Amino acid sequence: MTRNPYVEVLIAFTLGVGLLVGACTGRQTSQNNESGARAPSGEVTIYVSTDRVFSEPILRNYELNTGTKVNAVYDTEETKSTGLANRLLAEKNNPQADVFWSNEPVRTLVLKKRGVLAPYKSSSAVGIPAVFKDPGDYWTGFSARSRVIVYNTKLVKPEEAPKSVLDLTDPKWKGQVAIADPRFGTTSFHVAALYAELGDERADEFFRKLKANDVKIVAANSVVRDMVARGEAKVGLTDTDDVNVAIEDKQPVAMVFPDREGMGVPLMPNMVSLIAGAPHSEAAKLLIDYLLSSEVELMLAQSEAVQIPLRVGVEGPKNIPPISSFKPMTLDYGKAADRVEDVTRRLQPILGL
Amino acid sequence: MVRLLREPKRFRRALTQPTMRSALIGSAFVVFAGLCVLPVVYMIGVSLVNAETSVNLENYRRLLVEPRQRALLLNSTLLGASSAVFGTLLGAPLGILLARSRLPAKRLLRIALVIPLIIPPYVLALAWILLTGSTGVLARTIGHDLLSGWTYSFAGAVVVLSLAYYPLSMLATEAAARRVDGHLEEGALLVTHTRRVMWRITLPLIAPMIAAAALTTFVMGLSEFGVPSLLRVRVFTTEVFTAFAALYDFGAATALAVPLLVVTLIVAVTIKLIIGERFISVRRSIHPALPLALGRWRVLVFGGTILVLTAAVVLPLIALAYEAGNVKRVASTFEGSREAVINSLLLAAIAATLIIILATFLGYWRGQERTRWRSVFDLFLLVIFAVPSTVLGVGLIGLWNRPGLLGGIYTSQGIIIIGYIARFVTVAALILAASVRQIPKSFEEAAEVAGGSWPRTFAQILLPNMRPGVVAAWLVSFIFAVGELGTTILVAPPGESTLPVRIYTLVANSPSSEVAALALMEVGIILIPLTLLALLTRVEVKH
Repeated sequence: MTRNPYVEVLIAFTLGVGLLVGACTGRQTSQNNESGARAPSGEVTIYVSTDRVFSEPILRNYELNTGTKVNAVYDTEETKSTGLANRLLAEKNNPQADVFWSNEPVRTLVLKKRGVLAPYKSSSAVGIPAVFKDPGDYWTGFSARSRVIVYNTKLVKPEEAPKSVLDLTDPKWKGQVAIADPRFGTTSFHVAALYAELGDERADEFFRKLKANDVKIVAANSVVRDMVARGEAKVGLTDTDDVNVAIEDKQPVAMVFPDREGMGVPLMPNMVSLIAGAPHSEAAKLLIDYLLSSEVELMLAQSEAVQIPLRVGVEGPKNIPPISSFKPMTLDYGKAADRVEDVTRRLQPILGL
Repeated sequence: MVRLLREPKRFRRALTQPTMRSALIGSAFVVFAGLCVLPVVYMIGVSLVNAETSVNLENYRRLLVEPRQRALLLNSTLLGASSAVFGTLLGAPLGILLARSRLPAKRLLRIALVIPLIIPPYVLALAWILLTGSTGVLARTIGHDLLSGWTYSFAGAVVVLSLAYYPLSMLATEAAARRVDGHLEEGALLVTHTRRVMWRITLPLIAPMIAAAALTTFVMGLSEFGVPSLLRVRVFTTEVFTAFAALYDFGAATALAVPLLVVTLIVAVTIKLIIGERFISVRRSIHPALPLALGRWRVLVFGGTILVLTAAVVLPLIALAYEAGNVKRVASTFEGSREAVINSLLLAAIAATLIIILATFLGYWRGQERTRWRSVFDLFLLVIFAVPSTVLGVGLIGLWNRPGLLGGIYTSQGIIIIGYIARFVTVAALILAASVRQIPKSFEEAAEVAGGSWPRTFAQILLPNMRPGVVAAWLVSFIFAVGELGTTILVAPPGESTLPVRIYTLVANSPSSEVAALALMEVGIILIPLTLLALLTRVEVKH
């Protein structure tokens, strides 16, 4: 049998192109079918930076209850690829997402500033204190996490644990403090909040002392928690959910809500926003209404994320003080977020990043 | 001419032959430019335009002004260079051993030795922290902390990256060492001894391939972020990420990637000047390449191989398995991963195949080209490969996310395949170009004289001779694509995407036990098809 080489090369090419086109159109057709067969509200696309383990069950629940298909893109604030906010910015001219659910304030406020978000006043946000809502309705806060001090229970007695982040400059913690890279994630929010609260000079001074105390700057909040759990550092700064996961895992760690007296506990609410030019804006509003319901606050409180409900009256997580029992840092989230860029530049030389 | 006209068949061939060749190679270049180069050009455009959409060099003026940035760039360069040197020192001898010697259980050994390439580098770093960190297995066993100072250091990062990337050098060296003309070596053996033949004949012949792998490793080390950040080594890549993550400034991020590209260019030019352009083969190798008789070194060599295997594969896997042992939520994590696993394997296999088709033509052109463009092209490939995955991802969004057909592709899984191709076709083209250069030009000329059309020559003469290179390039593309995260996480359509994205979005805040369990799962899942592939197809070329 003679083999025709033209045919071989062409087959290879066609096969390749065919596969590519197949992969593309396969999904495309199904999308078209869906939008053709159902009402436009039949699906909704949400970008979520709240950890997938916690957010996915809530979205699945919504799918089951309403029959609306929820297409989610997950991410996490820890990611070095900085996925979602950059993706939303890059997609701004032809938006693909309908809703953005952020697990901390900074990203949402950057997106608001860059014109990615649209205002929406949800009727189900009743009971959420005004401080956690945008005056222009570009975002609404719900269930919050907090920045916390984590300590190793085998190496540090509860009464000796630091009560304020400012205590971390105490020479007795020299070489024993771990924090995540303050340019990224919730740590960037925390340092910006500290600058807003303390003023530039005092904040600079605090970080200089922290550096002099041989602070260990590590990749992420989860690494801070792991190092403290292993005893590579005695104390560290991280988030409530990180510590709780380790506590449930029976690791020797505990947490302190810092600055309960004084400047206040740095709370970080989830924030949900409508995307400007959302392809499914009506479905988006329904999903936002659901996310702002007491039901979702309760689910997040009962999950391993141990998120603190912002509404009084929704049962909070066990082992976590309710919001009414401490003074939250009185923050203008917009102002704190505005400082992130400038604080990043200030901190690089101070901490030797 | 008159004679040609009298023989219409021959005339037609003379007319169509160069056309067909040019058309195929030309189309490959067009696809390459559209998929890989355009997103980069787009991002450079973004970096040159300010908010008022006028051309502005501000992003570039600020580059490397601070001493801090210069120190970081030096750190990154040294990290890349050291990883490339040590990765090659480990990988190249192993490649020669696999190609030439009679080691026991060679096929199994090859698969086992490739495993580090499948483990995400940051997981490998985590494994080493578990082993030699201040509270690691070693410290607990001997009672005091011996190695943590080394673990959290530049040296630690070099060790981890060398162990992660030596398989690249190994695969490339093996593919090249198989193709060396046995006659050359035998001829040389008549006048001198084996060791000299190895140094003066064999090594120079496979040097381009080793260099290509070393440069790839250099770029991987230069652009690595996860390992240095876990081991607390400050690198320049962090600057690029800061521009994205803290400042949301695409232009600044792209501009910050430029010093990395320039360093890549400088290193590549240097290597080029050292190695030069060689004619790799002059005649058909009827005899297999010279076998490597280990003699009394046999035990030592085998012992060394086992040592590498232990350090790079066995110890990290044991550390991960031990850590994963007390995981409690892993079952639920495994359960939901089916779709992501299928997606990952399928998309990576399609992408690797398309990459090979594209890279074969690019590599062929590069391999046989005799003008100075060939060197420029090599450098160009490397520089494109060095573009950070996030920059590429944002570039792909900017180009593809538009209403109409492009948007249709952007919202489908097709964009993930395009991302893989854009990221890795350059590596495959480099490997295949080296592979083409091992085929004597006389083959093609003979086929032409015998009246074979170019596509026929290509399919029946060139491709079979490139086979080891094709296999190596496919494997590398597949493994890289399966593990790709930086670009995928930016462009993957809503809904379930790939396994690394799933794992990454699941583990970010999980205990390290879960990270370990999921990493082991990823290794297992990639290893199964690779093992089957290796067992079902004979990788060895029949001589």
